[in-house]
Amino acid sequence: MPHPDLPLDEPLNENELWILSFYRTSEISGSLFFGKLARTLRPGPIQIDMTKHFADEAQHAWYWTECIRDLGAKPLKLADAYQDQYASTAGMPANLMEVLAITQIFERRVINQYTRHLKAPGLKPPIARTLEKIMQDELWHIDWVKKALESLEPEYGKETIEQTIERFRAADREVYANTMKEHEERLRALFGD
Amino acid sequence: MIDREQVRAEIAKFVKKPAAKVGDGVALMDLVQESFVLVELVIELQESFSVRFGQEDLSAVRSVGDLIDLVLNRRGT
Repeated sequence: MPHPDLPLDEPLNENELWILSFYRTSEISGSLFFGKLARTLRPGPIQIDMTKHFADEAQHAWYWTECIRDLGAKPLKLADAYQDQYASTAGMPANLMEVLAITQIFERRVINQYTRHLKAPGLKPPIARTLEKIMQDELWHIDWVKKALESLEPEYGKETIEQTIERFRAADREVYANTMKEHEERLRALFGD
Repeated sequence: MIDREQVRAEIAKFVKKPAAKVGDGVALMDLVQESFVLVELVIELQESFSVRFGQEDLSAVRSVGDLIDLVLNRRGT
């Protein structure tokens, strides 16, 4: 059922539907990736937190699906997620530490993007509620990944970890710039900048 | 002590193919198609055989045989 505080005559426009579907696709990809890794990892704190992270991402995918449905639309089927572009830009992560480093960078990007979206003019209440709900989890994601990376310092070295984070930060800047360029018109219409 | 066939069996299990279809000459990208699936495979092997790879180790890895060599090399076997 559509949410009661939304007028039924105010459907999602094409750009809104696209970006919510883009978020949904990204959460699904993250969930599938972390789920498989959580299954692979040996028992320990990282296995536990990654399993929670996987479950959160799956839940977020549901939140976006529900939000789109409540706004009277159906999710678009999008082929690629934002994070799929990292491997071609920075090389694929070679080990668990690199996966965590890329995750930390990606989660920061998600929070920045969701914060930006919250400031968008004319934001529909169900979208704002969904963004706020997800951002609570995203803050925990950044925290656990940071602690996990610190726990890996004896094995990989602090300097190597910092260099890896920097490599993926540079890749993220490139991927973000490409995404902005590719969808410039849509994003300008959505965020008014 | 691990041998080549144990590593191959692990790769075969991951890609859900018989070990006979996962010969040394098979290109990894033919086996997994998506690069993030390759990440999963590489981490699976590191976890299973208690080894660590760096990105520079993987830059020259193209085939199943290369990947098996890398695991064995890291294990010192």
